[in-house]
Amino acid sequence: MSNLIIGLTAVIGTIICYFIGLKIYQQWRYTFLAPVIIATLILVLSLLFFQIPYETYMIGGGWINHLLGPAVVALAYPLYEHRDTMKQLTFPILTGTVIGAVIGISSGILLSKWWGVSEEVIYSLIPKNSTTPVAMEVASGMGGVESLAAVFVMIAGIGGSMLSSFVLKFTRIYHYTGTGVGLGSASHAIGTAIAMERDSFEGSVSTIAMVVSAMVVSVIAPLFAGWWV
Amino acid sequence: MKTGLHIGVLYGIYIMGTWIQQLFNLFIPGSVIGLILLFILLMTGIIKAPWVEDGARFFIKHLALFFIPATVGVINYLDLFSGGGLLLVFIGLVSTLMVMVSAGSVSQLLIKSKERSHGNE
Repeated sequence: MSNLIIGLTAVIGTIICYFIGLKIYQQWRYTFLAPVIIATLILVLSLLFFQIPYETYMIGGGWINHLLGPAVVALAYPLYEHRDTMKQLTFPILTGTVIGAVIGISSGILLSKWWGVSEEVIYSLIPKNSTTPVAMEVASGMGGVESLAAVFVMIAGIGGSMLSSFVLKFTRIYHYTGTGVGLGSASHAIGTAIAMERDSFEGSVSTIAMVVSAMVVSVIAPLFAGWWV
Repeated sequence: MKTGLHIGVLYGIYIMGTWIQQLFNLFIPGSVIGLILLFILLMTGIIKAPWVEDGARFFIKHLALFFIPATVGVINYLDLFSGGGLLLVFIGLVSTLMVMVSAGSVSQLLIKSKERSHGNE
């Protein structure tokens, strides 16, 4: 089979899984059934079942992945649309995000030390709540492993998003500023996609939290690692 | 047609973001630099909202689709979810939920008290 056919099959399969996920989500509206989670689950199970390696899937998956860059750039548009509201929210968003970043880094270090995790793994875990490229760069700068850092980013993104509806409800965080900051600073771009699905104000708040969080984490992670690890 | 053109503009800004990243050797990814760049360009009026509107709406509407190939990559690390690796998954999750709750509740608390003080005026 030529690469073109494999690629097209992967693209069409991904789009079909996405629309299945979208339908299921629109039916039940639970965040743990968000389109990205359902589609990932169906694709992972199909690849395992047909014994297709991820690299083969990525011949076509890479084409979609190539549009992730401009899709992230597009987040500036709703931010601009809601600029007046966002200006009002600047202080709550920034304060929440910075506190979240500090707690994420310190709890990551302390929990790992408590359970005797090796230093190399701790360095890879510390920047998990920022976006993948930032986390990989920051982790390797401290002496961590890049691919492991990417896995922890995925755990924070997918796992955090899946559990977000329960956790936010349980802790009585319901204002779109609170949920947006929570999703953006904990689960970065995947959390932002979920916030954007619910409401574009919440999505804009999450966008700011994601961007600020990535910057704060990249600056303070090495400091905390120097003190505590 | 118009949507395609707008996607082209967004793609161009993304490419500029990656150039800026390489030029200054920044660790913030090109896409995030592009996001900040587009926001500045919109605020200063150098780029008008109608030039990117349709493309941006398309991307935002189907944002989740563009993450799927990357998240499927978890398939290469499934063995982490058994044995000793499970502890690391647990630590990562607990710490992530702590971020969500602390960041979310602090900002909600601040916005609520702001709304209350405005209500009393």
